[in-house]
Order: sequence, then C-alpha cells, then structure tokens
Amino acid sequence: MTSLLGNMQHVVEGIIVVNTETIAGKMITQNLGVVGGSTVRAKHVGKDIGAFFKNIGGGELKAYTELLEESRSEAIGRMVADAAARGANAIVNVRFATSAVTGGAAELFAYGTAVKVE
Amino acid sequence: MASEIPLVLICGGIPALLLFLWVALWTIGYPLMFIWAVLTSSRKLDKRVTALVERETISKTHFGRDPLSTLRGEYHSSGVKKSGLVYSGVVFGPSHWHLLVAWWGNLIGGRIDILHRVIAAARAEAQQRLREQAQADGWDEVLNVRIDTAEMTPASQPKGVRAVEVFAYGTGVKYG
Repeated sequence: MTSLLGNMQHVVEGIIVVNTETIAGKMITQNLGVVGGSTVRAKHVGKDIGAFFKNIGGGELKAYTELLEESRSEAIGRMVADAAARGANAIVNVRFATSAVTGGAAELFAYGTAVKVE
Repeated sequence: MASEIPLVLICGGIPALLLFLWVALWTIGYPLMFIWAVLTSSRKLDKRVTALVERETISKTHFGRDPLSTLRGEYHSSGVKKSGLVYSGVVFGPSHWHLLVAWWGNLIGGRIDILHRVIAAARAEAQQRLREQAQADGWDEVLNVRIDTAEMTPASQPKGVRAVEVFAYGTGVKYG
C-alpha cells in the first residue's frame, strides 16, 4: 500500500496523530483548538470509464481505492501543517469525513484537536 | 495528403469517430461484460471471501489474537511506548448482475442477501487491510477502531459507478 506518507502512516513531520482522546504515557498540557485539512480530487476520464466497465463485473475498483488513499494522505498532511503552524506537537481525537461531490470526485476531510503534550 | 483534407472533415470527423467508438463499446461491449459478470461475479466474490479468511488467520497468528478493538485503551495506559494513526480503505462494488438480482429481490421485499454479502466482504477487506497496515508499521494493537462507509456516487446521480467506500482507522500502539 503506497501513500504520500510512505509506509509509516503515523510519522508526519514529528507530530503524533492519534484518534484517541489521550496519548498513552503523555500528558496534554495545552489545547490549541480544532485543526483540519481537506481536499477534493478526481481521476481523469479514462480511469472513470475503466472503473465503470470494471464495475459491471463487480469487486474492488482499484483506481478509486488509490484515489481515496492519496486524497486522505493529502488531507492529513494539510491538517498536520495546520497544527504545526499553531505550534502543536500532537493531534488527538482525529476524525474523518467523506462526501461525494459528484460521481468520481471525492471530498476528504480530516480534523482533530491540536495539543501540546509532554 | 494531409493538407488536402478539408478542415470541416477533421473538426467533424474525429468527434464522430469517438462517438461511434463509444456507441460500439456500449452496444457490443456492455452485453459481453454483463454476460461475463453473470458467469463470474458470484464466484469471484466467494473467492475473495475465502482468501480473506486465510489472510485473517495469518494476521491473527502474527498478533496472537485479533489486533483490532474499539476500546479506548485506558486499561493499559502504562507500558505503551509509542502510538500513532493507522488507516486503510477499499472501494468495492456489486456487479451489475448482483444489482439486477437485488432489484428483483426489492420487488418481493425482505432480506437482500446478495448485497449484504458484497458489503460484508468490503468491510472485512477494509478491516483486514488495517491489520496488515498495522503489521507493516510495527504496531502491537490497534485501538479505537472506527469504520466509515461512504457512497462513491451521490444518490442524486442514479447513473455511474455503483460502489461503496469502506474506510477503517484507529490508533496503533506499541508496548515497550
């Protein structure tokens, strides 16, 4: 599985990203507010047509799986950049939201709470 | 000679050729694909489910148990050395044959087993990929797992690709 973040999905510019409220073994000392990142992406028409014909036979649509994987990494990257700009060193309680703007294009949104931990 | 071909023919000819190809693809390609779907899609789904069971067994042997849980992890907050996000997703769709069967089932009502099987396979696939991703990243356990489902095609657009996206994420922890 390849993503923009490489194989180690959690290592993003030295910021710890978790979807739990606390980080085990660390103490939250400062709350820096909600941070988020989003992206809208689409595959080109050729891939869409390919996916449509693949869809007739059913099963996984790899082109779309990849599309969402890439977009999600990008959304996380933007969220992390937002947190870094606020001087945070961790993001806790991360959530994801997806919406289909139009067929084949997807909006991915990642958000969480930027905190300082010790 | 290329220069002797009138401009009108080039302007009109290329789109017309593309249109012709498109129509040909639809009238010849679609029925063939559909027949292929009728013949193979159910077997393909069975095969994937069987493969999934095997992959799950491999993962569970590696971790010693199922590494995924929806617990928040307060019960072992000491001893955790490292934690971080882990996520995986899959876009999975029923074949047009399955959709036809489902439509038929819709008329009668009750349980639509075929679509249930497709969605269940997609969910199991997403969870299994999360296990494999956790293994690749070197986590010992994945806490607070959430499983989201999103439609690839909005309900306002009845045509196009019919698929759901299943996305699973959680917090990987590593014991010291």
